[in-house]
Amino acid sequence: MRITAPISRAEEIGPMLAAGADELYFGVVPLGWAERFGVSTVNRRTFGNLEDGDGLRRAVGAIRDGGGEASLALNGQQYTAERLELLLGLAERFAAAGGNAVIVGDMVLLDALDRAGLDLRLHISSIAACRNGEAALFYQDFGAARVVFPRHMTLAEMADVAAAAPELEFEAFVLNDGCLFDEGVCHTIHLPMQLGGPICMDSYELDYRRQDGHAPSASEQAALDANDEAYKRWAWHKFSCGFSTTGDGQPFGPCGLCAIPFLAAHGISTIKIAGRETPTERKLKSLGLVRDTLDRLEGGADPAALADFARSLRAGPGRCAEGYMCYYPEVMHEA
Amino acid sequence: MAVSGAPAGAIAHTEIAVAVTDGRVLPRLGVEAGRLFDALRLAPPPSARSLSRLHLGNEFCERLIPSPTLLRRAIGVADAAGLALTLATPAVPDQGLAKLRRLFRLLLDGAEVVVNDYGVLRLLAREFPALEPVAGRQLCKMIKDPRLPTEQWARLNPPGLGSPEFEALLGRFGIRRAEVDVPPFARPADLRVGGLALSVHAPFGYAVRGRVCRIGSLRFDGAAKFRSVQACAKECLRWSCRLTRPADRGNRDLDSFQRGNSIFYRHDGNMQQAMWHAAARGWIDRIVLPGDWREPDFGVLTEEDRHADHGPD
Repeated sequence: MRITAPISRAEEIGPMLAAGADELYFGVVPLGWAERFGVSTVNRRTFGNLEDGDGLRRAVGAIRDGGGEASLALNGQQYTAERLELLLGLAERFAAAGGNAVIVGDMVLLDALDRAGLDLRLHISSIAACRNGEAALFYQDFGAARVVFPRHMTLAEMADVAAAAPELEFEAFVLNDGCLFDEGVCHTIHLPMQLGGPICMDSYELDYRRQDGHAPSASEQAALDANDEAYKRWAWHKFSCGFSTTGDGQPFGPCGLCAIPFLAAHGISTIKIAGRETPTERKLKSLGLVRDTLDRLEGGADPAALADFARSLRAGPGRCAEGYMCYYPEVMHEA
Repeated sequence: MAVSGAPAGAIAHTEIAVAVTDGRVLPRLGVEAGRLFDALRLAPPPSARSLSRLHLGNEFCERLIPSPTLLRRAIGVADAAGLALTLATPAVPDQGLAKLRRLFRLLLDGAEVVVNDYGVLRLLAREFPALEPVAGRQLCKMIKDPRLPTEQWARLNPPGLGSPEFEALLGRFGIRRAEVDVPPFARPADLRVGGLALSVHAPFGYAVRGRVCRIGSLRFDGAAKFRSVQACAKECLRWSCRLTRPADRGNRDLDSFQRGNSIFYRHDGNMQQAMWHAAARGWIDRIVLPGDWREPDFGVLTEEDRHADHGPD
């Protein structure tokens, strides 16, 4: 099983590979993009992109020299035809530099990359929301080598997809960066915080109505209020427990460490750490959590013992027991 | 909200469809479009028009996939009323594909299926080539954030829909029609997609869909809430809620509401005008109106509206 981890600066390459990442993924804004389109958003991250040109060549060289593989995120939901032109140029430069894979969310870009025949593996981004075996085979027909599962899938659903498409590799989230909705079909913008931020974090007031137009009764309103309070708590966990860390700097937030044995046993070859824009220390701490867990599994630990170990890493079992911090709460729930 | 008038002749050649999620609405379904326009506070058509198509199903939630019994009933209702039938489908896991396969077997050749999942599209192309796939709103991606403060924001990431490449790709799977929403700050040309026939949903657009459902967790406790797969009681058929932001932030927002796992917005007058002008130019040939699963009514209801749809028993 392999670990794929994010970087946002070339200086992170050495430390992340030394800490046990097998693959590093990152974004790049193509040369001329911002000037031509007046926006620097290419890959769902405005900040935290590596440089194109010489910077890209050096970064890919450093990753390969360090024994890792390089994946380039080209994972916007969709692009116009003129933007595709610049992205294909970037992919060509990445391939020429020795890059290994591009992570793609847009079908038209995937099709174009497949037809371009570059020496690159095509990975389907979680943005593409591949949730069933037919979808996996659909992407395989367009040259995909790997599918990154979207968030909010159960382990059993992932196993079904992996079984339906045995020629594909699969990758699943195991740490960081929750999303309350389904990012592949979120048609909103992460606005600046002064304008409200992401829509899922915005300060909406809720006013419920029954479909017959009536307001809730007092008891119904109480139940709705309690549900909304629980939702706020769930969202808080998904946003890294208020973007906090443990005393020794370990990140809180969405976690699937205890599910790694299941993933390994059901055809998921790669586990993903999210968080391209986070500070280097958080990236390294996250990688440490995942590497420790995976090393124990590969050292022969049984799944139950491994799950206990994973929970011990998350600042006490209480957070795990509530299930709101979990990518795969069924592991705790069914245990 | 003021109702915007449609330009003369705007919808002379535009088909009017009604979308239904809850089967209990079917017995009350009329074929006269004007009452539905009124109920939705949408600009009325310039002349008496009839509904010509029924969209059955829900694009946003696998829990709302109709049963085979309901689909058979809808086929009968549509046939009796002279309506064509479209089956709307959501993104699904493999178990959902099995449910959809059973439904596809019941459809007559040529029936439309709105797809929001490339796996569903592949299934149709392989096993049901006589059905007519339609690219749903979740495949036709565009920025539709009801909070955008200016048009400039709306233009930052223009949609790829309408590019020859996207149309060619859809065409390989037999798709000849797409469905879209009217995005905030829309201009008529935003609703022109070249070689595809275009359906537009009105007067609400969807902004974001989730798999986890807040209201669907209402009857669960603790860790059982907010799970990816939830045996909900379909609370979304009964409840919806208006979403408002503090005035200092949200005074220019489009009216927004959450229904089930998704957030929607209501078109403003300019967006309606853009839609009608696009229809007048022949760029839109179908408008899809929600027969249920829509905005809660915060105004005065008629007795008829009050019974238009209702929650679970």
